Amino acid sequence: MKKRLTLLAQTSFSALCAVSIASGAMAGELNILTWEGYADPSVIEPFTAATGCEVSATYVGSNDDFAPKLAAGGGVFDIVTPSIDSTYALIEAGFVQPIDVSRVPAFKDIYEQFRTADGILKDGKVYGVPYAWGAIPFMYRKDKFDTPPTSIKALWDPALEGRISLWDDKSALYVAARLNGNMNIYELSDAELAAAVDKLVEQRPLVRKYWATAGELVDLYKSDEVWISNTWGGYQSGLLAAENIEVVEFIPEEGAEGWMDSNMIVADTPNEECAYQFLNMAISAQGQEGVFKVNGYSSTNPVAAKEFMSDSEFSALHQDDPAYLDSLLLWENLGDRLPVYTNAWNSVKSQ
Amino acid sequence: MNGALRLKRALVLSPPLLWTFLFMFVPYAILLVYSFWQQKYPTFVPAFQFGNYVQIFTDPQYFRVILRTLKIAFFVSLGAALVAYPYAYFLVFRVRKPGLRLMLYMAVVAPLWVSYLLRAYTWKTILGTTGILNSFLMSTGILSEPSSVFLYNQTAMIVTLIYVFIPFMVMPIYAVLEKIPHSLKEASADLGVGRVRTFLSVTLPLSIPGIVAGFTMTFCLTFGDFIAPFLVGGPDGQMIANVIASQFGASLNWPLGAALALVMLMIVLSIITVSDKFERLGQGRFA
Repeated sequence: MKKRLTLLAQTSFSALCAVSIASGAMAGELNILTWEGYADPSVIEPFTAATGCEVSATYVGSNDDFAPKLAAGGGVFDIVTPSIDSTYALIEAGFVQPIDVSRVPAFKDIYEQFRTADGILKDGKVYGVPYAWGAIPFMYRKDKFDTPPTSIKALWDPALEGRISLWDDKSALYVAARLNGNMNIYELSDAELAAAVDKLVEQRPLVRKYWATAGELVDLYKSDEVWISNTWGGYQSGLLAAENIEVVEFIPEEGAEGWMDSNMIVADTPNEECAYQFLNMAISAQGQEGVFKVNGYSSTNPVAAKEFMSDSEFSALHQDDPAYLDSLLLWENLGDRLPVYTNAWNSVKSQ
Repeated sequence: MNGALRLKRALVLSPPLLWTFLFMFVPYAILLVYSFWQQKYPTFVPAFQFGNYVQIFTDPQYFRVILRTLKIAFFVSLGAALVAYPYAYFLVFRVRKPGLRLMLYMAVVAPLWVSYLLRAYTWKTILGTTGILNSFLMSTGILSEPSSVFLYNQTAMIVTLIYVFIPFMVMPIYAVLEKIPHSLKEASADLGVGRVRTFLSVTLPLSIPGIVAGFTMTFCLTFGDFIAPFLVGGPDGQMIANVIASQFGASLNWPLGAALALVMLMIVLSIITVSDKFERLGQGRFA
């Protein structure tokens, strides 16, 4: 039910076209635009109790939701949590402000490859505090497969007609491109993009539904509509496990994308003090434990992670092996190719 | 005296005029200006060029989606009319007790007070693989296995939208049927015309304005809908409003989104113009 509400909240939000939930922010009130699970009461309540900063969260369904909501202006949001493919565009558009890392003492503890990532730096200034990371693996219902799928090809298998789902996002193109053998998924030429579109059009009759939110994907598995899809590694599978539906995540032969989310401060926020408190809390043991417990994502701060993860959890989440991330195709900013990718994805859905 | 009257008139008229100006004309003007702008990473820049319109008319995806949206809107309006007409007819001519008639009328209109989202969501639980419809069909032995054909396709969208918008069809049809004088039907009967022919040559023609009004409203509301594709539509469910939303959202291409919105507005306005002609035709004949 909670997931259902999230879906409703999300839909009604888009339906109302950015009507703010709490406008005219008072001092000590933070509005964050973030992902499902990132503002869990288990983390927010102690934070509010300790700092007096009230938090209200709005959830996005994809990274494409950040820039438009900030571009609409209105000074609604104070903090956003985009992934590494969307951070740089927000910096260039002037939607976010530089972060004074001296006010974020634990910043130095974050994995070096994250805190020095191109996506959060500009002109030597830091714009984002890395918060969580993981993969975009695939997952399937264990009871429906005799031989476990190992390839993306399974999502093009006619035998699975009506049981397949893909994220309603430009990342569908990344999946199809890899199936075509194009591993340069963030720099696809027009011809390669057209080939990916053809592949997705070919797949479309087999697709039950393109999922738009985490809650929707969980619903699709729960109501027996979908047996195989891509997913946000750790999150939906965890929610499904709680519903006693056994799903297995896998990294296919064709590889998987990787992601890393950072907290950024919206330019000219009137709640800067609370914003910094939030950034600090997010990478503290308390904040990192929250995202680990709620979403099952890996931690960007190994020092904090050591405090609450067991040794086996630490290695299961590849915390001792951040080079694992290099084996993933870490999301990249598409720059001026973003509209081309988006239109390509729209054209699949227009067929 | 004349001056005072003019002042009064101005005072009465200015709030609605101001409202219309501020919240109708100004936004449309802004939209029009945007539609000539140009996308430029990371957002978009002012310009005066027709690239967005050229893109809409040359890239076949927009034509396909507009055509699909028109098709769905047509079937929703047709379906709603086929259900609403007999219902309204029954209410006006067959239900004798005013209290009962009001109750039945409200039964159709009352769902309007429930959130559209909730009503659309309900259909998910009815049509799903493990939904109410499948459970029913399986318990009665009509199906041996749950069928997935009810949900996540265009039919599911049409069914949901018919349900959601049917009050807008019932209300105008009910209104015109109620106004038809009983004497006309009696005259027809006196002249020895049967019930079916009386309906076809008296009642139906007189109720055309109501059908046209309901059809237009249902059509336009469906044409602009973008929640049904999201909730009950399948991979072939994208409608024009979803494309516009994705231009203002995902691609951050407000100029193209604005151009699309204006094209959509033109389509809706031409539909209203045509339906207005129809309505007048109906009235002219029998006035």
